Amino acid sequence: MALNKFRTKSPWILHYNAGSCNGCDIEILACLAPKYDIERFGMINTGNPKQSDIMLVTGPVTKRSRERLVDIYSQMPEPKVVIACGSCGCSGGVFRGMYNCEGGIDQYIPVDVYVPGCGCRPEQIIAGVVEALAILEKKTKEMEESGKLHNDPIEQDGQLNRRNVAAII
Amino acid sequence: MNNSIIQILLIVLAPVLGGLIYGIERKVKARMQRRIGPPVLQPFYDFLKLMDKRKMMVHSTHAFLGILHFVSLWFALAVLIMGGDFILIIFLHLLATALLILAGFSTRSIFSHLGANRSAISVLAYEPVLVIIAVSAYMLTGSFNVSEIYASTTPVILKMPLAFVALLAILPIKLKKSPFDISEAHQEVVGGVELEYSGIFYEAVYTSKWLDYMFCYLLVFMFAGNNWLLGLGLVALTFIYINALDNSTARVNYKQMLRFSFWVALPMAFLNLLMTMFHLL
Repeated sequence: MALNKFRTKSPWILHYNAGSCNGCDIEILACLAPKYDIERFGMINTGNPKQSDIMLVTGPVTKRSRERLVDIYSQMPEPKVVIACGSCGCSGGVFRGMYNCEGGIDQYIPVDVYVPGCGCRPEQIIAGVVEALAILEKKTKEMEESGKLHNDPIEQDGQLNRRNVAAII
Repeated sequence: MNNSIIQILLIVLAPVLGGLIYGIERKVKARMQRRIGPPVLQPFYDFLKLMDKRKMMVHSTHAFLGILHFVSLWFALAVLIMGGDFILIIFLHLLATALLILAGFSTRSIFSHLGANRSAISVLAYEPVLVIIAVSAYMLTGSFNVSEIYASTTPVILKMPLAFVALLAILPIKLKKSPFDISEAHQEVVGGVELEYSGIFYEAVYTSKWLDYMFCYLLVFMFAGNNWLLGLGLVALTFIYINALDNSTARVNYKQMLRFSFWVALPMAFLNLLMTMFHLL
């Protein structure tokens, strides 16, 4: 497809904080500030899932935030890529195994690029985004759905209740 | 004959020219913040990328109203370029905005509703000023036709300078620029009415923003009469003024915006109307 190469020229970023300590979020915002200025690659921090291509997620997925995480992910139109920023986002970090957290973002949505570090440096985030762009160029527009939501649907009164699915798992 | 070819070219190429203005604007804004900024053709890259995204729509009326907004705005711009009735141009532009407001209210998203509310308030702020400018242009030339203003040998800005100042005061509201960007307000209402659009339907709303640039800068260009060099100079000055203002001010709330519009811009336009009525200049 000839239009594929324009995906890499204007990736719009959606930033979601899934219970992070704000360290990685500050680094993501530092990328957008004048020193690193990733807008020169055409990236905008849109804040709107319906218009963005790259999802930057930080934090171990807390039990409060996981429904929103899957919600926001499913609101993004394909093609899309997900970048897990920071140690917590990659594996749960120091919060792994705690009663109120999940171990990383890939427990809920498919992650394409992992950016480690506590907190991850702006240079690392930019390198991760460049990696993600190569993946984004090759992706198809097929539906990508959260595996956990669709493996064991729960029916209540004949209706699929998405919130409860996320809460029980 | 030669003139009409230029007019038709301008109408056909209006989105492209508006996109270039937007690209240059993003570059200029970045340089003002000591950043490098995206390439000038960045809006067109965005355009081509959005064409390739999966099509998601809230409901068909919502998507249709977005496309209709683009079409009616282009029509308003075409009437402005061809030199039609000034009042008609203003109300065609209002129709385009009203369609977008309707689209904002047609979804269930609270941010979309907030954005539509705020867009309606912005219309309330800039529309009276524009109508009074149109009336003073009528007093000056004896006709509501914009072509009379284009043809006038003395630049209109010398005859009604206060109208130009009033126009400069309301242009940030019309272009959704800081300090009067409450209807877009990315940090607050995530883009307002354009929130629920995605993919190719967002493209219509995104491109109509470029048409809005063309519309506003043509209004500025109009003030130079038939001296197109002066017109381009005015457009360049307005461009720098709007971007400098956008970069250096914070958002005000809607009450402050309305107060500014009704107590500063509107009296200025009225004063200008009185001056043109009694031929003071």
